[in-house]
Amino acid sequence: MSGPARAAGRLAALAVLLVLVYEMPRWLGGSVLVYSTCVTVAIFSVMAYGTDMVLSYLGEVSLGHTIFWAGGGYVAALLATRLGANGWATAAAAVAVALALAVVLGLATLRTREFVFSLVTYAAAVVAMEVTFNWAALGGSDGIIGIPKLTLPLPGGAWSGSSSAELWPVALALLVLTVAFIHRFRRSRLGLAALMVQMHPDLAATLGLDPRQVRLRVFVISAPVSALAGWLYAYQRAYVGPDMYESYFLVLMLTAAVLAGRRVLVGPVIGTALILLQQNYLSLGGDGDRIVLGLVLAGILIFWPQGLVGLWRLATRRRAEGR
Amino acid sequence: MNVGQQLINGLVLASGYACVAIGWTVLLGAARLVNFAHGQLYMLGAFVAWAAMDRAGLSYWASIPVAVVAVGLLGAAMQRLMGRLMLEHNLTSLMIVTLGFGYVVQGGAARIFGGEPHQLQSPLARGSIRMGELWLSGQDLLVFAVTAILFTLVWFALERTRVGATVRAVAEDPKLAQLFGIDASLVYLGVFVFESATVAFAATVVAPHSPILTSMGFDEVILTFVVVVLGGVGSVLGTLVASLGLGLFTAFFGALVSPAYTTAAAFAVVLAVLVLRPGGFAAK
Repeated sequence: MSGPARAAGRLAALAVLLVLVYEMPRWLGGSVLVYSTCVTVAIFSVMAYGTDMVLSYLGEVSLGHTIFWAGGGYVAALLATRLGANGWATAAAAVAVALALAVVLGLATLRTREFVFSLVTYAAAVVAMEVTFNWAALGGSDGIIGIPKLTLPLPGGAWSGSSSAELWPVALALLVLTVAFIHRFRRSRLGLAALMVQMHPDLAATLGLDPRQVRLRVFVISAPVSALAGWLYAYQRAYVGPDMYESYFLVLMLTAAVLAGRRVLVGPVIGTALILLQQNYLSLGGDGDRIVLGLVLAGILIFWPQGLVGLWRLATRRRAEGR
Repeated sequence: MNVGQQLINGLVLASGYACVAIGWTVLLGAARLVNFAHGQLYMLGAFVAWAAMDRAGLSYWASIPVAVVAVGLLGAAMQRLMGRLMLEHNLTSLMIVTLGFGYVVQGGAARIFGGEPHQLQSPLARGSIRMGELWLSGQDLLVFAVTAILFTLVWFALERTRVGATVRAVAEDPKLAQLFGIDASLVYLGVFVFESATVAFAATVVAPHSPILTSMGFDEVILTFVVVVLGGVGSVLGTLVASLGLGLFTAFFGALVSPAYTTAAAFAVVLAVLVLRPGGFAAK
């Protein structure tokens, strides 16, 4: 097949896949739980992609992405409740605020690596949580309630919705855009530079790459990804609170990033979907789910560092060799 | 404000931080490993001691070795599971693995001990010592004494004994140490068990200060982590100095400015220091 034909074929396959995924919750019964699970999987995957960018392409563990996640949610909540801003405005503001926060945190951590980087990002998250918890303008410990439904003015008239079933197209669109963004990033000069700096620091230096610049840029562009997830989460729950800083989200982001395998394009989606299916349909209670999530996170890295995709490859290779 | 009293409060806080931090300092120095389950091990130490007293009827003093041994054994099990990653020196994965373990310990403890707050009762907590206007409890004095003894012992062991020389050799260059016949994996196991056991011990003397909850985890010891990094990775004396500074800062900031923002302010200071000196105070 020629190049353009193959590209067209791939595009058509993608379009079919997209329609299938879009219709999936309806085929699964279309209950409230199905829709809310699907929307939450989409939102949490997008959230995890932010951490995944730093983990997979820089090899660092950011424990501070809850700041951007909560930041996106709070910006949406504040602008929507106080100013009545529409969805486009709140999303743009969430991205802007996340970029600003990430530049500050990125510059502060410019010279730190490994566990010092993790410590500083975590410390920043603790500071952000404490400020949010005590600042009356941000609702303090109560958070912000009564977020209006998401309204997106479009050329053909405004779209609006608040239930999970109504939000599903938006959540899916956000997820698709995020995956496209990550795909683009992986092939971009910055994405390649990041991998080079992580895997072959000496070679990167020979090529004249400044590791600090690369690290700062990747960190900064990863922030709005998690922030947009927080933005939609605020509309889904119609509420934001300091609970968005909870370590649950942190552990979930990291588990989603490693479960399917690092540097796998749709890895975080698969990881998030598996985790949420267990929590929503096979729950062992809050503490039991914690044990499962922790065991999955530790177990994957100890026994199958390549993740489920690595396991799959191993199995198929064994079968091929057996033949 | 009573300056003398805040000074005492600061010193008590400082010895608490230092006591919880010492195992971490040794672990970080010897293996460059951060144990993100440190907070949950602290929580577990406090709860095992509480259960030994409340359920098994042991005295406070008898409950301490129970907690130390139980958490030490758990530490040994965790280290064995991470053995391969530790020899590969896969620091990123190790950090995340310990985060996962911490989450498991938290969920497990909530299953076993329930979600209600408890109080670890120490016979010394009631007794108080007064010097004019100044006041401190018997428990404060115990924390102070325990920390002083612990730091002296650890410093002596690391700097003056053969075991200490072995640990320092592995910290310096694990491959070279192995060429000289040192079993690095055994040293890693040793420092990990030491870290788990000392944090449990620290919990039994520090935790009676406030109610204990199974959900108290990393946040409970995050200031300790700060102390470890600020003091300079693996530096015992640095840890002591950083604890002192942070303890006094916390006490005076809480009294002078605002108790609600104390942690945030402490972190702001730490962030500033780390931006200027990423290696901590001890960095050359």
